[in-house]
Amino acid sequence: MATHVKPREDAPRLERSTPAAPRARRPVPWSAIVRHAVLILFSLAIILPLVWVLILSVKSLPDAYTNRIWPQHFDFSHYGYALQHIPTLPRNILNSVIVTTATVVITTIAAVLAGYALVHLSTPGRAVVLGLLVASMFFPTRVTALIAIWEIQKNLDLLNTTWGLIFPYATLSLALSVFIMRGIFETIPRELADAARIDGANAWTMLWRVMLPLVRNGIVVVIIVNFVTAWGEYLLATTLTNDQEVRTLPVVLASASGGMGAWAWPRIAAVYVMAITPGLVAFAIAQRWYMRGLQEGALKT
Amino acid sequence: MARVATRSQRATAADAWSLAGRLVTSWAFLLPTLIFFLGWQLYPVIRVLWLSFTDYHYLRTDAPVHWVWFQNYADAFRDPLVWRGLLRAALFTALFLPGMIFIPMVVAVLVDRVRNPKLATIYRVILLIPSMIPGPLIFVLWKWLYSYNIGPINYLLVDVLGLFTLRNAPRWLGDPTLVFPSLAVMEWWWGLGYHTMFFLAGLATIPRELYDAARVDGANEWRIFWHITFPRLQPILLVLVVLRFGTAMAVIDEYLIMGGFNRALPTYTWTVYMWDLGFQLGDWNQSYAAAVGWIGALAMLIVVAGLFWLFRSRD
Repeated sequence: MATHVKPREDAPRLERSTPAAPRARRPVPWSAIVRHAVLILFSLAIILPLVWVLILSVKSLPDAYTNRIWPQHFDFSHYGYALQHIPTLPRNILNSVIVTTATVVITTIAAVLAGYALVHLSTPGRAVVLGLLVASMFFPTRVTALIAIWEIQKNLDLLNTTWGLIFPYATLSLALSVFIMRGIFETIPRELADAARIDGANAWTMLWRVMLPLVRNGIVVVIIVNFVTAWGEYLLATTLTNDQEVRTLPVVLASASGGMGAWAWPRIAAVYVMAITPGLVAFAIAQRWYMRGLQEGALKT
Repeated sequence: MARVATRSQRATAADAWSLAGRLVTSWAFLLPTLIFFLGWQLYPVIRVLWLSFTDYHYLRTDAPVHWVWFQNYADAFRDPLVWRGLLRAALFTALFLPGMIFIPMVVAVLVDRVRNPKLATIYRVILLIPSMIPGPLIFVLWKWLYSYNIGPINYLLVDVLGLFTLRNAPRWLGDPTLVFPSLAVMEWWWGLGYHTMFFLAGLATIPRELYDAARVDGANEWRIFWHITFPRLQPILLVLVVLRFGTAMAVIDEYLIMGGFNRALPTYTWTVYMWDLGFQLGDWNQSYAAAVGWIGALAMLIVVAGLFWLFRSRD
């Protein structure tokens, strides 16, 4: 089911490059108006909920209680207030950062090494590995394995610890990440690998010197995928931890349901905005490579 | 000539290296993946299967554990909560799938027609924003959007449009008939951009000349979509159907965050029941929970296998 992506040439650019006879301005066709109207509607539907939570996080408390969408008074103090008055919050943020960073580092390294071995080292037995990884993606592993994962963590004395979460987290998107890297490594011609090997490069130098620069867009995709998975993970975090101090940000947010003081809605909304900002900023920065990585082969399914 | 000779000599040396060291080296590269995959995915799934054939209750610390063969499965087949849980998951899947596949397909076709490269990028980036927010945080946001107290949706319906009063305003997540459609809309919102990217990747492989030729022949947009675009998107469509079918049948975070353990709500499916049995109810009958987990997985696998068979025979 491989769908190779060959970006086609851009039609308008071709037209523009022919200098002869500038085309007369035609009226915009109806179909284009309808198309953009529909797309703008979808874009608004996506943006408005996020704008709403952003506004909620800077509403004054009385405005929040009246539910008015555009507040009469803005209040930007909620961010600081939440950080100071929700006692575990800085700890929860730190927990999320630690767990996510470790997960992303482990999974990315594992996926790059595995993708490389599966494509360019003609690993004996790779069909078995591939088969298992594929099977795990069509099996509800996350749900079915939960009871035994809890047991493993208990036996390793990792229950109710933050860093213990890293182990199950690293596997959440591992199969997908290996597949993405495999897809990207397959775009590198085998002759390149052969040439490097003939020149005396061993498997490691070949990966490090020759291949890595060529697969960096794929690595961006893998990093983003794993960041999103680990940063927001809820099921394992809520099952494997009990105490508020060891929990991660999503568990704290999921249990918040409004209230007084530090738990007033605008303050929870401020925590929410803090929780989603890193991902969106990372996306804004890495967007170009991410899109390229997707096109190069990450979307090969 | 001499150069060629040394090359081939080096090549045989390389061959020797690859024969001797290939096994060790290449498996060394796979080792990190294998440790995590075997330790926290494959072993747990098998361990759960083993547990499901015993009478293990976690909180019965003094009782010996017996091998009971299919007793848990026999119990599960008589348990109305298991059946209801599977049916509810199937119902949600039926609601969830069409919108998760066809809305992105339509949006992809629309985005693909946008000729202005800047605008096309802007649409893509906006559509991808939700995929940069982790699932559980999406669910938290929509729990608030649907909220009876602070939700802007009910604020619009009650205070701005006056369609409802506070008394009869829809309880999006509390009403058993509304909760699945509400969750499905949320999932569509979340998955729209990501799935649109899959279809866009497929559309990019269709040469524009095909469209132009069809237009010259007088085909209208609908016929062009049906005869040129759709057949070429079909492989992607089938893969997405299988993948998302799996997602929808095994949904759990949404249900825990939105519905909790309220058995009257349809969100109490086999996944939530499994969690309830294993970590909350009575003396934590984890062996029975394990059986429920495997029954859910098997039910899913059977349908996935059926889908694969169905789609394969058509190609």
